[in-house]
Amino acid sequence: MEIKGRIVGIDLGTTYSLVAYMDHGAGHPRCIVGPYGSTLCPSVVSVDEDGTVIAGEAAQRRLLTQPERTIYSVKRLMGRSVEDVQDELKHFPFHIEPSNGNVIRVRLGEKVFTPPEISAFILRELKSWAENFFKDTVDRAVITVPAYFNDAQRQATKDAGRIAGLEVLRLVNEPTAAALAYGLHKQQRGRVAVYDFGGGTFDISTLKLISTDEGDIYQVLSTNGDTHLGGDDIDNVLLGVARQEIRRDLGLDLSAHPGCVQDLRKALILAKHQLSSAEKAEVHVPLEDGKFYVRDFTRREFELLIEPIVARTMGPVKQALADAKLVPSQIDEAVLVGGSTRIPLVRRTVGEYFGRAPHCELNPDEVVALGAAVQADILDSGVTTMLLLDVTPLSLGIETMGGVVAKIIPRNSTIPASAQEMFTTGVENQTAIDLHVLQGERELAKDCRSLARFQLKVPPGPAGLARIEVKFLIDANGILQVTARDLRTGELHTIEVQPSYGLNDAEVERMLEESIEFAEQDFSERQLIESRNEAETILKATEKALNNETVAELPKAERAAIDQSVERLRDSARGSDYKLIRTNIDELNQATMHLAELVMNGALHNALEGKRLDDV
Amino acid sequence: MSVTQTRAETAAGTSCWSCKAATNGAHFCPACGKIQPLPRDTNYFTLFGLPEKLGIDAGALEQQFHKLSWKLHPDNFVRADEFERNLSLERSSELNDAYRTLSDPLARVEYLLERGGMRKEGTTKQQAPPELLEEVFELNESLDELREARESGEDLNELRGRLEPAQKDFQGKLADVDGELNAVFEKWDAALDSGASKDARAALMAQMNEILNRRSYIRNLVANVEQELAKTS
Repeated sequence: MEIKGRIVGIDLGTTYSLVAYMDHGAGHPRCIVGPYGSTLCPSVVSVDEDGTVIAGEAAQRRLLTQPERTIYSVKRLMGRSVEDVQDELKHFPFHIEPSNGNVIRVRLGEKVFTPPEISAFILRELKSWAENFFKDTVDRAVITVPAYFNDAQRQATKDAGRIAGLEVLRLVNEPTAAALAYGLHKQQRGRVAVYDFGGGTFDISTLKLISTDEGDIYQVLSTNGDTHLGGDDIDNVLLGVARQEIRRDLGLDLSAHPGCVQDLRKALILAKHQLSSAEKAEVHVPLEDGKFYVRDFTRREFELLIEPIVARTMGPVKQALADAKLVPSQIDEAVLVGGSTRIPLVRRTVGEYFGRAPHCELNPDEVVALGAAVQADILDSGVTTMLLLDVTPLSLGIETMGGVVAKIIPRNSTIPASAQEMFTTGVENQTAIDLHVLQGERELAKDCRSLARFQLKVPPGPAGLARIEVKFLIDANGILQVTARDLRTGELHTIEVQPSYGLNDAEVERMLEESIEFAEQDFSERQLIESRNEAETILKATEKALNNETVAELPKAERAAIDQSVERLRDSARGSDYKLIRTNIDELNQATMHLAELVMNGALHNALEGKRLDDV
Repeated sequence: MSVTQTRAETAAGTSCWSCKAATNGAHFCPACGKIQPLPRDTNYFTLFGLPEKLGIDAGALEQQFHKLSWKLHPDNFVRADEFERNLSLERSSELNDAYRTLSDPLARVEYLLERGGMRKEGTTKQQAPPELLEEVFELNESLDELREARESGEDLNELRGRLEPAQKDFQGKLADVDGELNAVFEKWDAALDSGASKDARAALMAQMNEILNRRSYIRNLVANVEQELAKTS
């Protein structure tokens, strides 16, 4: 038997991604802390001038300095076509390459990648976190996906795993994973609604948690959602307001200054976070030409701005309850998951609907990854004491006469689920039967999501003689498999598959080979290179700031402290201890806080060339 | 998604595919414990060990569903070889399909009729039941007026006032049909118990089929009215 490496649970999020494992000693799952001291790995990927790809925190820092080589929220592009994402392009700085294929290609500097490849860089980063933690190979994973992801989006996620060198044992729906972690933690039984409002997606799932002689069953009753509704949309509303005000009051159009937009976005996100606990948040961002955007947001104003977005979550919530044949009072617990549920308006809205205060005792950022680790452990141990019965979020159908969709597997069917259909020929000597498979709730094929078109080859003969039995099977990952059996002839026929969106096997295989070169680099070696680069950036910025005339206002003791920190950082950057370099970077950041303020407030802020406050 | 076309049938016999011991249609081989393909003559009822009756205890069905899920779910076969993994996928999807069908009384009776060759998908007649013709005609007229009034921005209150009682009326008819259906369900179960003739059972099936067609017609009508009223409120 081949020796396998470790297995982990991964939450591949829109904004942040996390990796978790089952701590058998403690009896509960844990998230792995990354090299920057956080369990959150920003879902950001950046490409260097020399072609090196970096992911995570280091890439996020480059959003400000090299926005055109850096990408965030790539999850929004997974499993979608160029046509699908036109709306996103208004709000996100994605550089989509024109292509006639059915997969989006994104330009990052000189290179072009598909969304699964970009996601694979994030997965590789998390894999390296885990390998560094275990001092062992990690080769298998359970990855979570939004419950409302369709077949193409799920397949794209699975492809990303493969490209990252991970065997994806299962895709688990995010709210279901959260319920698993939550149920384990609370020993909760009964009916639970999971309201999962993340960075880019919204899901609602209703579940029944049952104890049986064999163990606990987590049975999903219904699920609904919106795969393009999240905290990102809230950020975009704030950004829209700010850019409009900047144009109106300062006469500045930020379209030509992507770095400025990212600075502004970062400051607005910070204000959004502050407004979860404070009544007021101040935004203060240096722009071009010595201009500043200064603005106070009150919570009341913030809530008025985002109310339409929060209201959009309630349609899916009502539908999910109706599909489960439940009314709000029949839900024993409402559980909040995802960073956006920290917003008081969201909590209030959910609490009012269910008539009870929602639960949020587990960290809403970590709970999905923790659940993924639980499921990973179940699959790894071979002893099942907990069973997840999940559902397919969308109805599966085939196109019939007149472009009408015949539903063959209804939404909210427990998966695996299947349906069999018999096909025959309509005219004499017909040699093929065309099939079009779709996902969605609408009546007409043109309004549903096309999954694939393919042909069943049949031997020529009289009309109606051929008998081809086609079996549609949605597996436990929510991914469709189609098999066709010719019941009349003994011959084997091949089907020409034209997946509507997505990569074929050969493409994934090629990407896996290409990506291996990125994996070769040792974890600590990479950390060292990244931390040295950061050190260089901050040293340069400090030097620049010290050369400017505001320095005269700096007390002597402070100046001495800065000089000392600079020396220490220079020293450590010559060594090979990346942790020490990071500590010294933080130290210098601290020491230069006042200096940065002086420069910010002074007339000569241009000397900083748009560097972030804590980079100075 | 992935697609393959093959005629390779999973061997579904009375002996174990692995150790050749007699299985007698069990889910797992009594000798070696390996998961078995679904025997050819299995249907959704026999899969749960139930007679083809329409009265099913929902709690007991769910318990049986959970018991079988523990055994057949792909989670249990992650370490097994490809053949067994595929068997588990096939078997657990059958189980889920069966539970989905039997746990819903309407899907249950439709399945029974389909098996009896009494009901084929896509051939359901969407004709107004003769005794309802007049009322349906009036209702459709009111719906048309409502649509027109909405488009021209006229006052809708009067029309709403006319439609709402009609809606209640048809909802009542739907409840009546459900009552009729339940009564035939009981007759069917009693007929099975008393070993009724094939002809007697066929007659009951025909009756159920007629009621289902009527029900489907009224259900669509109610849904239409609900939709139109929702648009005006």
